[in-house]
Amino acid sequence: MLMNLIKVSKIYRIGHVEVLALNEVSVGIDRGEFVAIVGPSGSGKTTLLDILGCLSRPTSGDYWFDGKLVSRLPDDELTYIRNRKIGFVFQTFQLLPRKTVLENVQLPMLYAGVPWKAQRHRALQLLRDVGLEDRAHHLPTQLSGGQQQRVAIARALANTPDVILADEPTGNLDSRSGQDILGLFQRLHESGQTLVMITHDQQIAEQAQRRVMIADGRIVADDRASQQAPVPV
Amino acid sequence: MILAALILEALKNLTGNLLRTSLTMLGVIIGVASVITMVAIVEGGQLWLVRSIERLGTNLVFVWNKTLTAEERRLYEGRSIGLRYDDVLAIRARFPDLQVVPVVELDYSVKAAGRHFKGRVTGTSPEYADARNFHPAVGRFLLPTDIAEWKRVVVLGQEAAEKLFDQTSPLGKELKIGNQRFTVVGVMEKKGTIYGANYDEMLFIPVTTAMRRFQGNDKLDSLIIHVPRREQMEAIMAQVHALLVQRHDGVDDVRVRSQGEFLKAVDRTIWTFRIVLGGVAVVALVVGGIGIMNIMLVTVTERTREIGLRMAVGATRRHILLQFLVESVVISVVGGVIGMMVGIVAAYGFGDVVAQSMPGGGEWGAVVQPSAMLIAFSFAVIVGIFFGLYPALKASKLDPAEALRYQ
Repeated sequence: MLMNLIKVSKIYRIGHVEVLALNEVSVGIDRGEFVAIVGPSGSGKTTLLDILGCLSRPTSGDYWFDGKLVSRLPDDELTYIRNRKIGFVFQTFQLLPRKTVLENVQLPMLYAGVPWKAQRHRALQLLRDVGLEDRAHHLPTQLSGGQQQRVAIARALANTPDVILADEPTGNLDSRSGQDILGLFQRLHESGQTLVMITHDQQIAEQAQRRVMIADGRIVADDRASQQAPVPV
Repeated sequence: MILAALILEALKNLTGNLLRTSLTMLGVIIGVASVITMVAIVEGGQLWLVRSIERLGTNLVFVWNKTLTAEERRLYEGRSIGLRYDDVLAIRARFPDLQVVPVVELDYSVKAAGRHFKGRVTGTSPEYADARNFHPAVGRFLLPTDIAEWKRVVVLGQEAAEKLFDQTSPLGKELKIGNQRFTVVGVMEKKGTIYGANYDEMLFIPVTTAMRRFQGNDKLDSLIIHVPRREQMEAIMAQVHALLVQRHDGVDDVRVRSQGEFLKAVDRTIWTFRIVLGGVAVVALVVGGIGIMNIMLVTVTERTREIGLRMAVGATRRHILLQFLVESVVISVVGGVIGMMVGIVAAYGFGDVVAQSMPGGGEWGAVVQPSAMLIAFSFAVIVGIFFGLYPALKASKLDPAEALRYQ
């Protein structure tokens, strides 16, 4: 199993109020899977993505990533995992506005210490793969939303990650561009890339190979689990 | 590799917001420039003062009457009255190599052809001219016969001559000091104001004339002793002092100082200036540093999402810290370099202004020393690091998940 959450809970403190964002969530994701995590807003799916992406640690419970117990690792080791093993795709693209498309794609490789020439070469290759080679020297703002998201996907793939984590990747796109992105995800899935996508949209979730439903910080349905053993709802 | 990329990054960010960058830099520029200017001006002032003092002769020892307390005056009553003309003769007899110059200062108004002049009438001897390196431009200085015969002759300073006789030649003319008639025998060369004393408004008369025709006693105000060889100074000072104490019935009522000690006193004064002005300049530099901190804090807040994204794709906390620290250091280094250039130009410009506005300041000039530039520059860099550290630390401590979703 690539990623395995065991009874993971996350509690946020906002002033004196404690919010239970995740309540003993257990879920496992294998290499090569294309999983959609579906739930309404406020269900805890973003918190779940933060933990899966090593952006924050669970308050309790264990998170195993690629055979390592990462839930208690120090910051720098989490950073290393994010850099080498995880690629992020965000709803708002999160491209650096003052950098060219090419430089944005190079960024994870810069922090990985890849020599500059190799960065260039790989970034151009990735842009070719997502069909934006001719936009390499444009600024992100000169691109359409769909194009920007493809740049973000190229960036996510830069260090050949074990998994791509996508947070509402089509949320800011029109349906055609959204379909483009989902098509790109399908292609990546077919080539063996592990993908975890968060969405509130059932229809988009349908395009994934497996759906995990989340509500009120708990998993309420899981395609694979239901195939194996029914979970009481 | 990563550091090089971060420096490049910082330069791009700084040039991307040129107005903000240059305004921030302005604080550092002003700080560094003022440090350099202030130090250069003080340095120039010192050089000028030392040169002026040395122009008044070298290897000099000064002796003057101590100001006594009421207690001391009571104690020494009837034993000593301070420096007397006899002391001069005694020193000359004991040390034939030395030039010993007696000085009596009189406070009388001077009149000539209906004009009044409130100058400094000084009774002295012919040796004065050589010892002080101050010679007549026309006519002559005092002669030994003037001393021997208590002659009523006077040598005028440039300004005294102009005030009393306007454009006409004063040689051979008469003037009145108090109510006694004097004949002008010479006019001194121009000397200017040195360390607060204007040598051009002085009038010189024979010391014997001053003592016997005005004072009615042979008390002296001070002595100037010229020592032929510098190595002898210390020994001569001690021996002269001992001789005078012995002659004054064991009362130590004189001060003996060498010119070197005066120069040291000048040095101390200059250091005070240097510290005060340098302090003002350093305050300017610190204010510039606060400007850097202010702007860097704004920058960090503005770029919170960028920081989150960088952390998400693999920037460690150290990378983020370095990125922002490099930006503030670049601001201070570039600001420091520009500040040095501005400082040099300002120092020389300001030096010229001072030279033209100060009496006798013609040879005045700012002195820009490499050490001052180095200190100002390194101080700027330290300020950049110091004030850049807090914003950079703040950036590096952001939580990646929160930073990514910062609105």
